[in-house]
Amino acid sequence: MLVRDIMTTAVITIGPEATLGHVCEVMQARNIRHLPVLEGGRLVGVITDRDVHGGSTKLCFTPSQPEGLVRDAMAHPPKTAHPLDPVEDAARTMRALKIGCLPVLDGENLVGIVTGIDLLDALLRLTGVDKASGRLELRLADRPGGLARLTALIAERQLNIHSILTYPEGTGLVRAVLRVNTLETRPLAEALRGAGFEVMWPAEKPWRS
Amino acid sequence: MAELIYTPAYGSYDFGPEHPFSPVRQQMAVDLLVSLGHRPHWTEPEPATRADILTVHDEAYVAVVEAVSAGESVPDLESWGLGTPDTPAVPGIDPAVRALVGGTLAGARLLSEGRATRVLQFGGGLHHARAARAAGFCVYNDLAVAIRHLTANGLWVSYLDIDVHHGDGVQAIFYRDERVQTISLHESGQYLYPGTGEIHELGEGMGRGLKINLPLEPFTPGESYLEVFEQVVPPALQAFRPQVLVVQAGADAHFDDALADLALTTQDYERLFRRILELADALTGGRVLFTLGGGYSLHAASRVWAILYLVVNDLPVPETIPPAWAEKWAAHLGGKPAATLHDPSPAFPPLARRDEIVSRNRLVATRLLDALAPYWF
Ligand SMILES: [Zn+2]
Repeated sequence: MLVRDIMTTAVITIGPEATLGHVCEVMQARNIRHLPVLEGGRLVGVITDRDVHGGSTKLCFTPSQPEGLVRDAMAHPPKTAHPLDPVEDAARTMRALKIGCLPVLDGENLVGIVTGIDLLDALLRLTGVDKASGRLELRLADRPGGLARLTALIAERQLNIHSILTYPEGTGLVRAVLRVNTLETRPLAEALRGAGFEVMWPAEKPWRS
Repeated sequence: MAELIYTPAYGSYDFGPEHPFSPVRQQMAVDLLVSLGHRPHWTEPEPATRADILTVHDEAYVAVVEAVSAGESVPDLESWGLGTPDTPAVPGIDPAVRALVGGTLAGARLLSEGRATRVLQFGGGLHHARAARAAGFCVYNDLAVAIRHLTANGLWVSYLDIDVHHGDGVQAIFYRDERVQTISLHESGQYLYPGTGEIHELGEGMGRGLKINLPLEPFTPGESYLEVFEQVVPPALQAFRPQVLVVQAGADAHFDDALADLALTTQDYERLFRRILELADALTGGRVLFTLGGGYSLHAASRVWAILYLVVNDLPVPETIPPAWAEKWAAHLGGKPAATLHDPSPAFPPLARRDEIVSRNRLVATRLLDALAPYWF
């Protein structure tokens, strides 16, 4: 999944000479929290609701004023993403810097924006169920061929895999969650155990052990 | 007394000896009733017509099923959900499934014409079939065809699905329909096929708030199941006030089931059936149509459905099963003890995670009721 698959393309932007009062109005009216700042068509910064609201309380030492300018409050130079970046790269950057959005640049052109909400949508798409299917969960050794042998065994049974999610588990192990187009995941799990796989789900029934 | 609908023609809905959705299941149950000294009297239904099927299913899909049934080869069969290990493309499948649909539809007609109040269709329950797609052993959706007949005759229907799998096909077909309430209790889609049936699936448009899903933890025991059933189902029915209840009585929530993970005993099923009849008596003038459904332990399903027959007919449920029955069906019973209709008590050792399962199910039921509250009050 790439950034271009999850980004918002109708980007609302603002100029560096706009006032913070105006930024506040736009954010409230459009129900958004991030505005890329464009000057002469080029991205020069990002302003967030925190940049605006952080200075809007009396508790702040240097409260911002409604007539203050975007130029002085924005983050710059902005961190950006490219449309062909993997989604996980965008997520890693945002997580590492604890920032809420990445403007997406294709060359000099602003073509989209990715926010934390878009990443949550991506997570729901990656883990969601869009076709009737059963769930298999396995623990694999993290070396080449394990997943290939697993998918080959499933294909041998004429079954279709709708999705695979893998993530590392401790050292040298990978957890794999598959959605397969069958109601008969228990017999499938038995067959996979017979072939030497460690199947976490479907688990043995507690009263059978 | 209940009207029983059955025909040996149901036996032709058969995907082969290795397939779990076997007609042997109801044959064993009927034979069990006979061995208990009953002479079940049944009405043989006409098969559903093509026009009946088209009240629910798309014509293009019906044409595919007919072609497969006639042995013709159809390109890209799997995009119709057919020709898969779950729902193989077998010759003769169209008349076979129309026999089952005809039975459930005949039951609906008995109710809509006022000729019966309690009906037991001893087959059917193909709740996974979609308008244009086969899925999970189900080619046509007999329940949806019956429900469509009932609503076309001005009746408001609550559909109650106690099969261990989410009743996704029925829910999808009536997702926007304000005359049909669907309530499905099932093992959570997080763990079990088809993966759907989360509490946030509430229906759309005029049907919003009328599609109700109670996903349960794996290994949920009967007392927890019955507790959350009581928390959700009676108030849901009272809020909608249906004129007819249609119940998909799958037996695969039994602890011995080969494809799923809930832990009901035949005693729990008996309590559940009695409670459903009570609710029908209180809310729909007793009008209720039961179908069978999933059930992949022959040992469990035959006993659950024999108990269903006895309960809907107000007959006593005896304890012992004549040994002749177990001898006759020994090959299908897998060496399991079959001397009693009820399971041993306790049926299995205490579950280590029992308390966690019970409180988790309670929490999910409470969240579901919170999500429904805006539509009820
Ligand atoms: Zn089922």
